[in-house]
Amino acid sequence: MTVHGAGTEMLARTDVGAGGGPRAAERLLRSDWAARLASIAAVLAVWELFGPKLSPIFLRPPSQIFRAFFELVDNGELAIALTQSLRVFVSGLVIALVAGTFVGVVSGRSRLVYNLTDPWVSALYSVPSVALVPLIAVAFKYEGDAPRVATVVLFAIFPILINMQQGVRNVDRGLLEVARAFNTSERRLWTDVILPGSMPFLLAGVRLAIGRALIGMIVSEFLVGLAGLGYLIIAYQNTFRIDKMFVPVIVVAVLGITLMGLVQFIEGRVAPWTRRET
Amino acid sequence: MNARIQVEGATKRFSGGAVTVFEGLDLRVEDRETVCVLGPSGCGKTTLLRALHGLVRLDGGRVLVDGTPLTAPRRNVAMVFQHFGLMPWKRVRENAAYGLELAGAPRATIDERVDRYLAMAGLAGFERSYPYQLSGGMQQRVGLARALAMEPDVLLMDEPFGSLDSLTREVLQDELLRIYQTIGRTMVFITHSIEEAIALGDRIVVLSERPARVREVVTVDIPRPRTVASVFADPHFVPLRDRCWSLLREKAA
Repeated sequence: MTVHGAGTEMLARTDVGAGGGPRAAERLLRSDWAARLASIAAVLAVWELFGPKLSPIFLRPPSQIFRAFFELVDNGELAIALTQSLRVFVSGLVIALVAGTFVGVVSGRSRLVYNLTDPWVSALYSVPSVALVPLIAVAFKYEGDAPRVATVVLFAIFPILINMQQGVRNVDRGLLEVARAFNTSERRLWTDVILPGSMPFLLAGVRLAIGRALIGMIVSEFLVGLAGLGYLIIAYQNTFRIDKMFVPVIVVAVLGITLMGLVQFIEGRVAPWTRRET
Repeated sequence: MNARIQVEGATKRFSGGAVTVFEGLDLRVEDRETVCVLGPSGCGKTTLLRALHGLVRLDGGRVLVDGTPLTAPRRNVAMVFQHFGLMPWKRVRENAAYGLELAGAPRATIDERVDRYLAMAGLAGFERSYPYQLSGGMQQRVGLARALAMEPDVLLMDEPFGSLDSLTREVLQDELLRIYQTIGRTMVFITHSIEEAIALGDRIVVLSERPARVREVVTVDIPRPRTVASVFADPHFVPLRDRCWSLLREKAA
């Protein structure tokens, strides 16, 4: 959500710049990036200089984490952990996307299905998902990827489901009337009006789901059979190799930033009208 | 001969009958005439227009189109909306083709007609734009082209220029007069602007406040072809405007 917020504000500011033509907007966009990079650089510099003085064991300087990164790349540990983690993450997110979209559409359309599912959706969305992970582990008998995939699904499905449901329910009444005035069929009503109108909602849900899915992935690796990046974090934490512990943490952060940025990019391509500038 | 549209004793209530929008309303629209429906805001003009297209169910009375009772929107009637009603995810061309596609017209017909009516609405060169890239006036031209492309016998216009600035509004009124000169179909045009009603209408149906009834039908005896400027310069214009004004004020008192 923070990434989304920053994006909107950025657009609002380029709007102001649009008065000075596209070049002014471009300059603003560049200064946005300059500010972001400067912020990261400043934090890293302070960390590098003062971190080890505060706590030599827990605040290893970024330069050492950087070295640890290459160590883990060279010995293949990172690649193995990343493959394990991504397998679980991608499977879980895809299942959450398909199931969440489906239930969202059906419950958005049918009052009965909405009433049948809403108590469960609200309850499961409010309960800290972490509390349910041991139950999932038992249900899937701690075997293979299944309990971890199920955990990712649990973490990621609700933003997708709820957003899709809202998208379907909030369809533009004016466009519904237009469709009826031109004698639409039920099928064309969905393909022309309801589904395209829900796209921005769905993509916003996916963006939230990515962050939650990454958390679900790490949590499941902590709690259900040590594997992947989560295992690396635990293992190096327990042996006080904090520099190495930070490597998977940063990899997860970079994954999150990249994937959310990717979804935002897709949003701009498939739903350009949401970036209305007037 | 049957009227194009005939309304007999139409009654519509909202909020479980607590609010009567119109009651016992009669209206006749002849073939190839333009009838402007003029009334204060909130008097149910838009609801009446929706009823003329079978989009709202009446609580009493009936609407006949070409002599038969209306139950659902007909293919030979097309509507233009105050809110434009364009799909933001479709380009100008796809929006204009929407009605024809739903009607299952052959591809060649769609292409030919969409080209013709986009050009007629002054949108040549904008086919690949998205609605959000266009001004309000241009967006409503797309709404107009979408309706014209159906080559309907009747065009229902729901305050189509109501949300536009006055300059754009006059330009589009002129365009509509010009287009109507060439295609000459039946039109029902809802407005709350007296000047607009006089400029476009052959007859003006002045409605009373809610519950709306037909207060009077004013005949606009200004010759065609018209332009907005020629209408304003016509000696009949001022008396017509005063007549409509006093009819509208009468009910306010």
